[in-house]
Amino acid sequence: MFKRFVALEWKQFSRSSYFQKGIAIKILLALGALYFIGMAAFMGVAGYFGLQKVMPDKDPITVVNNFVIYWFLADMVFRYFLQQLPVLNIKPYMVIPIKRSTVIHFLLGKTSVSFFNFLPMFFFLPFSITSLVNGDYTVINVVAWFFSMLFFTLSINYLNFLLNKNNKVFYGILTVLVVAGLLQYYEVYSITEPAGYFFNTIYEKPYAVVIPLLLMVMLYRFNFKFVRKDFYLDGAISKKTKDVHTQELTWLNRFGKVAPFLKNDVRMIIRNKRPKQVLFMSFIFLFYGLIFYTQETYQEMPAFLAFASMFVTGGFLMSFGQLVPSWDSEYYKLLMSQNIPYREYLKSKWSLMVVAVVISFILSTPYIYFGWDIFGMIAAGALFNMGLNSFITLYGGVLNQVPMELNVKAKAFSNTQGFNPTQLLIALPKIFGPMLIFYLPYKFINFETGIICLAVSGILGLVFTNFFLNQIEKVYQKQKYKTIAAFSEKK
Amino acid sequence: MISVSNLSKSYNGVTVLNIESLDIPAGESFGLVGNNGAGKTTFFSLLLDLIQPSSGCIKNKNIIVSESEKWKPFTSSFIDESFLIGYLTAEEYFYFIGDLRGQTKADVDEFLKQYEDFFNDEILQKKKYLRDLSKGNQKKAGIIAALIGKPDVVILDEPFANLDPTTQIRLKKIIKDLDENTGTTILISSHDLIHVTEVCKRIVVLDKGETVKDIQTSQATLEELEAYFNK
Repeated sequence: MFKRFVALEWKQFSRSSYFQKGIAIKILLALGALYFIGMAAFMGVAGYFGLQKVMPDKDPITVVNNFVIYWFLADMVFRYFLQQLPVLNIKPYMVIPIKRSTVIHFLLGKTSVSFFNFLPMFFFLPFSITSLVNGDYTVINVVAWFFSMLFFTLSINYLNFLLNKNNKVFYGILTVLVVAGLLQYYEVYSITEPAGYFFNTIYEKPYAVVIPLLLMVMLYRFNFKFVRKDFYLDGAISKKTKDVHTQELTWLNRFGKVAPFLKNDVRMIIRNKRPKQVLFMSFIFLFYGLIFYTQETYQEMPAFLAFASMFVTGGFLMSFGQLVPSWDSEYYKLLMSQNIPYREYLKSKWSLMVVAVVISFILSTPYIYFGWDIFGMIAAGALFNMGLNSFITLYGGVLNQVPMELNVKAKAFSNTQGFNPTQLLIALPKIFGPMLIFYLPYKFINFETGIICLAVSGILGLVFTNFFLNQIEKVYQKQKYKTIAAFSEKK
Repeated sequence: MISVSNLSKSYNGVTVLNIESLDIPAGESFGLVGNNGAGKTTFFSLLLDLIQPSSGCIKNKNIIVSESEKWKPFTSSFIDESFLIGYLTAEEYFYFIGDLRGQTKADVDEFLKQYEDFFNDEILQKKKYLRDLSKGNQKKAGIIAALIGKPDVVILDEPFANLDPTTQIRLKKIIKDLDENTGTTILISSHDLIHVTEVCKRIVVLDKGETVKDIQTSQATLEELEAYFNK
């Protein structure tokens, strides 16, 4: 049975419009993956010798154990945002004679075959081998340690599945992380030490490999039960409806021609799960500056501060904007055949993004605590976001022709992440743009000039709004048929 | 009103639609029938510029649809559920379409009054988003929305499918009414030969992308069509 599933999956993959994107992008992505694998392998080998050199009196594996908790935490965060969870439409399998458990095992098994699971192995494997070859270690300990790491990685994999599917788990873990982070930050209690002790113990006692193994099996079982429970028409894929009211939103009429679209966008955001999630995430982005402004190290690296300042006000802009026009994928044909000037449509999206930047900026005033320099940077970053980033993001959106389900009720069986590697490529100018625009004048003249340049770049963008919108409109027009075709693809 | 010349659409060398010429005069009620894969939806999609023709063109009021968007203000359509915005209530959806077609809220309310029967109390003030309505009710909302703002051309793909018998009868009345009392050009595709012969003055049969019959509807039309499809 599994063989047939695999064949079906392969067909779905190779026949999707995403796969049929330009060969150049595919090559770039492959190179990117190779680069990461190469770097990981290199880090594995070099990491061993490097640690030996930096801390000659300490054992490299012990050092890794002490810090590996951060790796796993980072892994968890990255996965949440980047890992595409597999999609398996269960409805067709419900009435044909396949055991439910087989379907679910396959669904879960599919998540194991992910780049995110292989990448850590490319580090741990060369690291373990180098340790064995060069160090004075017992083979059984290192092998058991390696498998422990493997099982932890897979545990994170299954945990991520739950995080994505179950809001309770998501908020639970988020709370734990925030609390742990705060405790650590205010030096009330440090999780690093007990975590290091824990991992070292696992290394010293090879039989302790059963702990991560059990953790993995437990999470797997938990996932299994979670999916199994909802494996009914009126379970996971049913719709629950509650009474709703017509909202006029007449206060938006002041925006003139753009008003009908703005009204819809506002309704879209408050009535659908996916955009709500984005809204929530953009709120989190507001705190992004805390990571950078509080660290001594970054005070010497103002380019990173510029980057962080841009992020503080740009959370919504980027997470919402990168999925324009995907937000409207469910009814894109209507928009394309109705009496809609494309420009108004784009302008409405743009206005929404700009308003979000302004709101974020107002909310970011407490950052004045870190000094006017920092706040000036945030202001300049906000201008950059409004004037340039908004257009780059809108431009990137149309290249991202991923149909989206706005209100993913059947979360466990549908794609929750419209995020893909193409987005990463488009993200480059967004990230390095503000850094460069700030850093060059800062380096050659002074700090203030850097801020002014960043601000002016944004103002210039705003001055040329019409020009940019026209250009983006052209790209959208050009991509029209392709986008319609991609959006009508069955999800 | 609509004129087609040398229109063809092919995917990877396979021609799915090939119409040398077809003229639909203003005010005509035009029915399109044909088995699955005959090219009905392809034709409508081309007419709405949702796909690109491989050759030839369609003119809507002398505007080449793939070159200019000026046909959009007087053309409206309901092809499938992707023409509905799922997270809006029916009212919001009607007002939105009204906005796009230059109709105020009061205009739309006035307009909707005449369709109270058709809605059968299942659409308005239901406190439900469109995505939570049944297929049939979604269709009702979509069809009526396509009539907002007195468009000159109305395109409906399989309007009778999924509707309950009462609603089918009411829809026929609405279409006949539009045809007789306004100058609207109506294009309908259907698998139901009885309905289509009843409401359309002219019927074109498509087969494998080609027009094989072009009939002015008469008493004998239904029999002729049944004979044709009973091959």
